[in-house]
Amino acid sequence: MHKLKATNATRLLGFILLGLFLFYLSNTVDELRVYQGATVAMYVIAISSIILLTGYSGQVSLGHGALLAIGGYGAALVRNNFNAPIWIAFIAAILLAAFWGALLGATAARLSGPYLAGTTLALAVGLPSIANQFKFLGGEQGLIFDIGLPPAWLGQTFSQYKWFFWIAALTALIAMWWLQNLLRSGYGRTWRAVRTQSVAAELAGINIARSKILAFTLSAGLAGLAGAVLSMTISTVSPGAFPLSLSFALATGAVLSGVTTLGGVIIGSVTLVAIPEIADVVAHQVGASENATTNLPGLMVSGLLIVAVLFVPNGPVEQLKKKRSK
Amino acid sequence: MIRKNRRKLISASAVIAAGSMLLAATPAQAAEQGVSATSIKLGITIPMTGIASPGYNKIPGAMKAYFDYVNANGGVNGRKITLVVKDDQYIPTLAVAKANELILKDKVFALIGTLGTASTKAISRSAQLSARGIPSLFVNTGFSGFADKKAYPTSFSILPSYQMEAKVIGKYLDDNYAGKKIGLIYQDDDFGVDALNGFKQAGINFAIKVPYAAGSQGVAGVAGTWITKLQAAAPDVVILFGVSSATAAALGNAYAYKYAPKWILGSVGGDATTLAASKVPPAFLAGAKGLSFAPAPSDSADEYIKMFMDVNTTYNKGVAFDNNIVAGMTSAFLAVQAIKAAGPNLTRKGLMSAIEKGASTFANPALTPLGYSATSHVGATGYWIGTYDATGALKPDGGKYTVYTTDSGTGPVVLSNYKRPAMPAKGLPN
Amino acid sequence: MFQLLNTFLIGITAGSIYSLMAISMVLVWRSTRVVNFAQAGLAMLSTYFGYEIIHRFDSYWIALPVAMIAGALVAAGIELIFMRLLLKHSSQGAIASIAPIIATLGLLGLIKSIIGYFWGNQDVIIESPLSNVGFTIGTQTLALSPMKTFIIAAVVFMVLVLTFIFQRTNLGLALRASAYAPEISRLAGIKVDLVRTVGWALAGAAGGAAGMLQTANGNGALSPDSLEFSLLLAFGFIAAVIGGLDSLIGAVIGALLLGLVLAFVLTYVGGSLVFITAFVLLLVVLLIRPGGLISQKAGRRA
Repeated sequence: MHKLKATNATRLLGFILLGLFLFYLSNTVDELRVYQGATVAMYVIAISSIILLTGYSGQVSLGHGALLAIGGYGAALVRNNFNAPIWIAFIAAILLAAFWGALLGATAARLSGPYLAGTTLALAVGLPSIANQFKFLGGEQGLIFDIGLPPAWLGQTFSQYKWFFWIAALTALIAMWWLQNLLRSGYGRTWRAVRTQSVAAELAGINIARSKILAFTLSAGLAGLAGAVLSMTISTVSPGAFPLSLSFALATGAVLSGVTTLGGVIIGSVTLVAIPEIADVVAHQVGASENATTNLPGLMVSGLLIVAVLFVPNGPVEQLKKKRSK
Repeated sequence: MIRKNRRKLISASAVIAAGSMLLAATPAQAAEQGVSATSIKLGITIPMTGIASPGYNKIPGAMKAYFDYVNANGGVNGRKITLVVKDDQYIPTLAVAKANELILKDKVFALIGTLGTASTKAISRSAQLSARGIPSLFVNTGFSGFADKKAYPTSFSILPSYQMEAKVIGKYLDDNYAGKKIGLIYQDDDFGVDALNGFKQAGINFAIKVPYAAGSQGVAGVAGTWITKLQAAAPDVVILFGVSSATAAALGNAYAYKYAPKWILGSVGGDATTLAASKVPPAFLAGAKGLSFAPAPSDSADEYIKMFMDVNTTYNKGVAFDNNIVAGMTSAFLAVQAIKAAGPNLTRKGLMSAIEKGASTFANPALTPLGYSATSHVGATGYWIGTYDATGALKPDGGKYTVYTTDSGTGPVVLSNYKRPAMPAKGLPN
Repeated sequence: MFQLLNTFLIGITAGSIYSLMAISMVLVWRSTRVVNFAQAGLAMLSTYFGYEIIHRFDSYWIALPVAMIAGALVAAGIELIFMRLLLKHSSQGAIASIAPIIATLGLLGLIKSIIGYFWGNQDVIIESPLSNVGFTIGTQTLALSPMKTFIIAAVVFMVLVLTFIFQRTNLGLALRASAYAPEISRLAGIKVDLVRTVGWALAGAAGGAAGMLQTANGNGALSPDSLEFSLLLAFGFIAAVIGGLDSLIGAVIGALLLGLVLAFVLTYVGGSLVFITAFVLLLVVLLIRPGGLISQKAGRRA
């Protein structure tokens, strides 16, 4: 089966080819799809941060939305106050979120599953109201996060959304490249060992707490980056953009992707973006009453979720692998 | 049967008229997005589900009902208005996504009635409404910023700002309760902070200010603590400047604790229908003061309210008639007037300049002057203050609407003698 | 002085309502090791059944037990249909920690949509059966009314009944045994699967009561998007985690603590600190006791 052994070089080539394909795609699809593409790229980063945390280090977060918020605000503050270029704003988002992630991770390392879920949930409920306590965070309406117009050399007809997509897609590709290398490294193996055989891992001299805190910190950094990309696509950052439902959506996306493999992350991301729109269309075609059109999208999304968890719990990629190995 | 046929006849002749007009016009001129010879497509994104949706999710239905009424009577310049509704759950990210679907996929002519400051701001920025010249009509937020033509050139306000409201309340307190101890319950976000600025300008000093976090009114026990705080400070007059669920919670707990100061209810939370449905007995509210810029939903003597009630019965399945229905129909009414004024050759630019040029004199239900001009996109510019009666309905004092007008800046609050233009026959565009 | 007393009473009443939700989370956690986010949806659906009864028979006192029975039946049904499938497919590996959460979130969404479809997204109203006006001492009014007294009494009664079931009956023994050692219990002849279903049913009944009492205590408004229910879920779960997810008494203590701390912070520190306070309280408790206030084992392994 494994005749073609993937090396670092071939994988890098794969990423570059994927990038070229996305570049080609961005020039052929219409503006709405380009905008949605940027959102997909945001989800790719955010969901992979959950995969790193849950699938590899075995920790559960129901409050990742809060970490995205920290990244979004960090990026906007740096951009607005120092007129920093976009990539510096993104790096600031990563560092700030990673810092808070490390603090949170230090607490989290002591907690088991549901207690950690409760803590992160309380964080996601509590954090947004902070924005109203400090004036520099802009209150309910939030801050502007304007990355500026696309450079002039791209031409007059080059749209703002295409520019968002290019930035988001490139960011996601770089993040994925880094993450898959990390997960293949000794760190990745350590995390897996800690998750599946924690006692054995401890006996083998692995510092479990430190390994978990590191995973939380890196996951938070990725989440912060996703938050910056999210804020870019809506050109603003406000507490309302990071509701509890975002945290839940990310956990959902991780399950749809398959929580133990990075390979399926695009599936979960596309599903999160596409399903509400598809459900909307179907609801309007089928639905006669207002009750039906209003509630059908929610029904379809929830139904799909339940079916996925019940029948494809480990995600489509793992499912395929299992089938092939049989 | 006859009526139906007549409607058909009217629409048929409208089609013919519009068709001949198109033929007469110079050929090959591309029509504006969302406009055809027989139709105009508008779009709204608003919370239809989610925690912010109760009440507001009635607005699109009310708009649709009025549009249907107009369509059934021949439409505007021969065009029928359709409204595409999207659910953004009050989440800015979703609001942008839905606005993009409306603009890029449904290809609407204009947005109308987007709700929430954060969502509206995000839509305006990210979807680049100004660069693309897409009108955003009558946004449902009291944030004064959207009336700023420089910052949001294609957005038009309708609601008076929270700051205006606070200034009007301040003036009322000065005139009637000088020297009394004043208390305030307010939402601790932009909504409340804008109001605090207005109260400050009006020179009001509070004996006690009770802030609450948005959403926390739903947490068991929270509203109870507001009342114990007020009881301890014992102000003579208490202003309730919160959303309707918070106002209902405050009044409900006050009733439970037999606490009865003089109440003044802000316009956002003071919807009589919502309060009547809560557990506050209407008699408890009797004598409280309330504000509005539109006529009270209970005022069936008002020609607009009467017409809206009829439209609501016929085209909206007679859902409970409240402030939200009035708000939705008012926006729809104003939109129809604007589209009519923009003429048969409808363009986005034309629509916006029609509002700038003429909307301050358009027929409309608001009891305060509209501030639209070439330099300003301010909608209603003030409030009338009335009293809740023993049935829980807000009634103008002495049967006459006393209207105060002001601005969102440092301008004074003045008593207005504005006379609203008469409603066109049957409430249809004339 | 009077303010102090009333703040205390507000905290106790709020805590009572959270404790019902916390208890139902604990019951489910003990029986299936699942944090049940659908609990808010179940409570809401039961309350809608109660609303229908009130609508038809005009009696809250018939509606309350009907809502509890309906809650029990629906919860048992969910356990039979969904949870057994779920545990069969995803009890191993990383997915086991997250699958139940996602599945119950999905159920929550499903229930909300179903309610919206049948009852619409607008508010319906449940009137409180008893007076909400507080008792009077001299010229002062207490933050305690006949309705609030009933709520506290109902919660105390239910906690006593549940404690009795758990401590003094064979069913209770089976519930406790299959929670801690399902394999051994099975060998000992306990029908573990059936016992699990019973655990869910008890939780469903407690949730139904929580929904009915909270709605009658609050604004009386009920809608599928009700803010009250989302918050009831979040705060009930936070209370259960504070108390320790394995303990019924812990759930009650956690809920009362949360209710009291919130009431005092809101009154004496800052009115807008609700959500932050809940988070900080949870964090402080878990930093001192990672397994909650009442935890059986000192350090749990994974």
